[in-house]
Amino acid sequence: MSDAHDTHGELDMGHHHVSSSAMFSSVLVALLFLTFITVAVAQFDFGSANMLIAMGIAAVKASLVIAFFMHVKWDTAINKIVFLSSFLFLSLLFVFTLADLFTRRLDNEMHITRSPVDKGWVHPSTIEGGH
Amino acid sequence: MTTNTPPVDVQVASPASPREDYLNCSKGIMSWLGTLDHKRIGIMYLIGVGLAFLSGGAFALLVRLHLWEPEGMLFSNQTYNQIFTLHGAFMVFLFVIPAIPGSLGNMVLPLMVGAKDVALPRLNLLSFYLWLTGAVLAALAIILGGFDTGWTFYAPYSLYTNQAVVTIGLAIFVLGFSSIFTGLNFIVTVHKLRAPGMTWFRLPLFVWALYATSLLQVLATPVLGITVLLVAFERLYHIGIFDPRLGGDPVLFEHFFWFYSHPAVYIMVLPAFGIISELVTVHSRKPLFGYKLIAFSSLAIAIISFLVWGHHMFTSGQSTYAMFAFSFLTFFVAIPTAIKEFSWVATVWRGSVALNSPMLYTLAFLIIFAIGGLTGVILGALNVDLHLHDTYFVVAHFHYVMMGSIALAFFAGLHHWWPKMFGKMYNETLAKIAAVTIFVGFNATFLPQFIMGSRGMPRRYATYVPEYAPYHQASTIGAMILGSGVALMVVYLVASLFTGKKAKENQWGGVTLDWKCPTPPPHLNFDDEPKVIHEVYDYSTLDYESLQRDAT
Amino acid sequence: MSHDDHHAVTIPAPGPEFVPHEVAHHFSTPVQEFQAGKLGFWLFLATEILLFGGLFAAYFYYHEMYPETFVLGGKQLDWKLGALNTSVLLLSSWTMAMGVRSAQTSQKKKTLTYLGLTVLGAVIFMCIKYIEYSAKNEHGLIEFGHLFDPYNEGTGQLAWFTDHDGVMASVPHGHMFFAIYLTMTGIHGLHVVIGAGLIIWIMVGTAKGRFHAGYYMPVDLVGLYWHLVDLIWIFLFPLLYLVP
Repeated sequence: MSDAHDTHGELDMGHHHVSSSAMFSSVLVALLFLTFITVAVAQFDFGSANMLIAMGIAAVKASLVIAFFMHVKWDTAINKIVFLSSFLFLSLLFVFTLADLFTRRLDNEMHITRSPVDKGWVHPSTIEGGH
Repeated sequence: MTTNTPPVDVQVASPASPREDYLNCSKGIMSWLGTLDHKRIGIMYLIGVGLAFLSGGAFALLVRLHLWEPEGMLFSNQTYNQIFTLHGAFMVFLFVIPAIPGSLGNMVLPLMVGAKDVALPRLNLLSFYLWLTGAVLAALAIILGGFDTGWTFYAPYSLYTNQAVVTIGLAIFVLGFSSIFTGLNFIVTVHKLRAPGMTWFRLPLFVWALYATSLLQVLATPVLGITVLLVAFERLYHIGIFDPRLGGDPVLFEHFFWFYSHPAVYIMVLPAFGIISELVTVHSRKPLFGYKLIAFSSLAIAIISFLVWGHHMFTSGQSTYAMFAFSFLTFFVAIPTAIKEFSWVATVWRGSVALNSPMLYTLAFLIIFAIGGLTGVILGALNVDLHLHDTYFVVAHFHYVMMGSIALAFFAGLHHWWPKMFGKMYNETLAKIAAVTIFVGFNATFLPQFIMGSRGMPRRYATYVPEYAPYHQASTIGAMILGSGVALMVVYLVASLFTGKKAKENQWGGVTLDWKCPTPPPHLNFDDEPKVIHEVYDYSTLDYESLQRDAT
Repeated sequence: MSHDDHHAVTIPAPGPEFVPHEVAHHFSTPVQEFQAGKLGFWLFLATEILLFGGLFAAYFYYHEMYPETFVLGGKQLDWKLGALNTSVLLLSSWTMAMGVRSAQTSQKKKTLTYLGLTVLGAVIFMCIKYIEYSAKNEHGLIEFGHLFDPYNEGTGQLAWFTDHDGVMASVPHGHMFFAIYLTMTGIHGLHVVIGAGLIIWIMVGTAKGRFHAGYYMPVDLVGLYWHLVDLIWIFLFPLLYLVP
C-alpha cells in the first residue's frame, strides 16, 4: 500500500487515507441488508409513519455511502461542511413550501378569506360571475 | 515614510522596453478566445455584459418612450409585454447577475488574494462560454418570436403562451451553470490559493463579498435550473406539475422560482457592496470602519436571504401563516445591510476624501441605496405590500437597488480598476460630468415612480389612465437624461483605450495586493509569491512614490 | 518559493507502466491541486443535490396533495425490479470504491477491472429501466410515442396517459404520479449514462498509465459522481416504489 511521498517542499502530496477492502465489503453487506429491511418493512402499514421510516432507513444507507464510499469520514472539514450545507439549504425549500401547503388547510378551517365580497366591501352583483 | 516596507514590492521594469503584461504577452484572437488567464476572461466578460447592459438599456428606453402617452405611444399591448420582458430578462440574467463577479471579480479576486490565477482556470473559461451561449440563446429566443411573460415567467401563463419560452428557459439554464461555476471557482480560490500570511481577516472586503456571493450562486442557482427544466417539461410533455388544468399548483412554481430569485438579488447586490467597501476606504484613504462587521454581515445576508422568499408572493395565495413568517423574517435582512451602510458612512466621515469619479459614483450609491434599501423594508411589511404589490412602487424600489445601486457600483468599480486593467486613464472631467448626469437622470426617472406606485399605478401595463401621465412623462425625461449619461460614459471609456493618458502605477493609493502588483499586471500576476505581513487597510504601508510614477 | 512558466512541479511515475503528472502551474504543491479539485467537485455535487432536491420537494408536495394517487400509482410499479436495480447500483458503488482504491495503490489492472464492472452495473441498470418503461408504455401509463403530443384542452386528455386498463381511474389526476416518476427516474437515468461515460473516459486514462498513487484525483472525483448517482437512487426507490 503506497502512500504519501515527500511531505515537505514542493512535492508535498499530503496524507491520503486508503481504505481497506474489508471495510468496503462490510459497508456493501450493510447496504444490501438495509435494502432488504426497507422492502420488508414496506410490507407493513404504519400509517403516516410509513414515509418517515422509509426515509430514515434511506438516510442510514446514504450516510454509509457518504462516510465510507465517498470517504467523507477522513476528508477535510470544509468538504464535510459543503455537502452538509447542501442538505441544510435544501431542507429550507422543503420546510417552507410544505409548511405553506399544510397551513392552507388551517386557513380554510378558520374561514380566513381574502375575497372582497366575503369581507362585505363589494356587492357580488357588481362583479362578473358573482365572486 | 514608513520603514515597514512590504517584502513584495511593485516591480520596477526597465523603462526602455515596454514591459510585458497580460494584454500584450501573447497576440492573436485565439490567444484570447482560448485563454486561461483570469484577467483576459474578465475583459471578455466585460465586453459581453457591457453589450448586454446596453441592449437591456435600449429595451428600457423603448418602454419609457412607449409610456409617454396614456394610450401607449409606440407598440401594441402584446409587443409592449414582450419589450418589458426582454428588458427584465436581459438585464437580470445577462447583466446584473453575472457582471460584477464575471468582469471585475475575475480581474481582481486572484490579485487580491495573492494568487497566480483562479483555482480552476479551464472552468473559468467554460463559465464565460456558457454565458456567451446563454446570450446567443436569448437572442435566438427573440428571433423565434420573443416572450411576453415578464422576466418572472409565472405559471400558468408561461405554460400556455404561444412564445419562445422553452428557448429562453434553456438560455437561463445555461446562464445558471455559468453562474454556478464562477461561484464554485471563487470559493475554491479563496479557500486554497491565498498567499502565505493572507489570513481570512486580512482579505479585502471585495473578496469577502464575492465569497458570500459565491455561496449563494452554488446553493441557490440549481433550484432555478430545476424550475426552468420543469417549466420546459410542462410545456413540452404536460407533466401537470404547475398547470392547474392538470392538477398542478402555480404557487409551487412561485416557491421554486423565488427560492432562487430572492437569494439572486443578493447575488446581484453583494458584489456591489464589496466594491463600495473597497472604494470608500481607498478614496477616503482611511481604514474601513468595522471590517469584521462588514465581513460577517455579508455572510449573514447570504444566510438570511434563504429565509425570506415568500415576500414576493404575498398576493399569490400562500397560507396566512406562511406570509406572517416570511414578512417577519424579511425585516432581519435589513439589519446586516444597515450595518454596512453605517460602516461605509463612518469610513468616509473625517477621511481624506478625494472627489474623483469613482468616489462620486460611490457617494451616489450611499444615497441611492439608502432609499432603495429602506423602500425594501416598507415592502416587506405584509399589510403594506398587499396594496403596493405589482405597482410602480415595487418597480421603483428594485430599480433603486439594481440600477441606482448595483449598476452604479459597477460603474464605480469600473472606473476604480480601469487604470489597473489597462494602464490608461480616461478623461476625468467627462467622467465627473457623466457621473452627475447619471445621478440626476436616475433619480428623475425613478422617484416619480415611487409616487405614482403609491397612488395605484400598476406595473407591466401598456396603457394607463391620464391621471398618471405627468409622472410617466417626468420619468421618461429622466430616462433620456440617464441614457445620455451612460452613453457619454461608454464613449470616453472606450476612447481612453486608444487615446488615454498613461495611468499611474498606483492611481488611487490603494494598499491591497491588487495595487501592489504591476500596472497592468503581468501574465502570472506576481513575479514572486507575495507574503502578507500587515493588516489589510494599513495605509502606513502606502508607497507614495507609486502614486506619482507612471505605469509601464 | 518562486515559479515561472518554465518550472513546473512534477510527480514522478511509480513504475514503468505509469506516466508522471505535471501539476498545473498556478498551484504551488500537489496537495494544493488535489484539495482544490476535491473542494471544487464537492461544491459541484452540492449543486446536484439541490437540483434533484427540487424534484423531491415537488414529490412531497403532490404526495401531500393527492395521497391516493401516489399510493395507487406506486402499486403499478414493480418493486422487485426496483429492489434489483437498487442492489445493482449498490454493488456498482462498491466496485467503484474498489476501483478508486486500486488507483490509489497503483494497481493498474485491478483499477480497469473494477471500473469496467461499474460500467457493467450501469448497463444492467439501464436495461432494467428499459424493461420497466416498456411495461408502463404497454399499459398506457406512459406512452412514450405520444409523450410530446399537445394537451387536448377540449377533452382534458393527455395523449401520453391513456391508462387503457383504467387502473388509475379511481383517483384524481392519475397521470401526476407517472409524470413525476418519469421526470425523476428519467433525469436520474441521464446521470447514470453520463456517469458511465465519465468512467469509460477514466478507464482510457488508466490504461495510459496516467493515474497512480501520486495522482489519482480524476478517478476519485468520477467515483464521487458515481456515488452521488447511487445516493439519489437510494432515496428514489422507497419513495416511488415502496411508500404505499
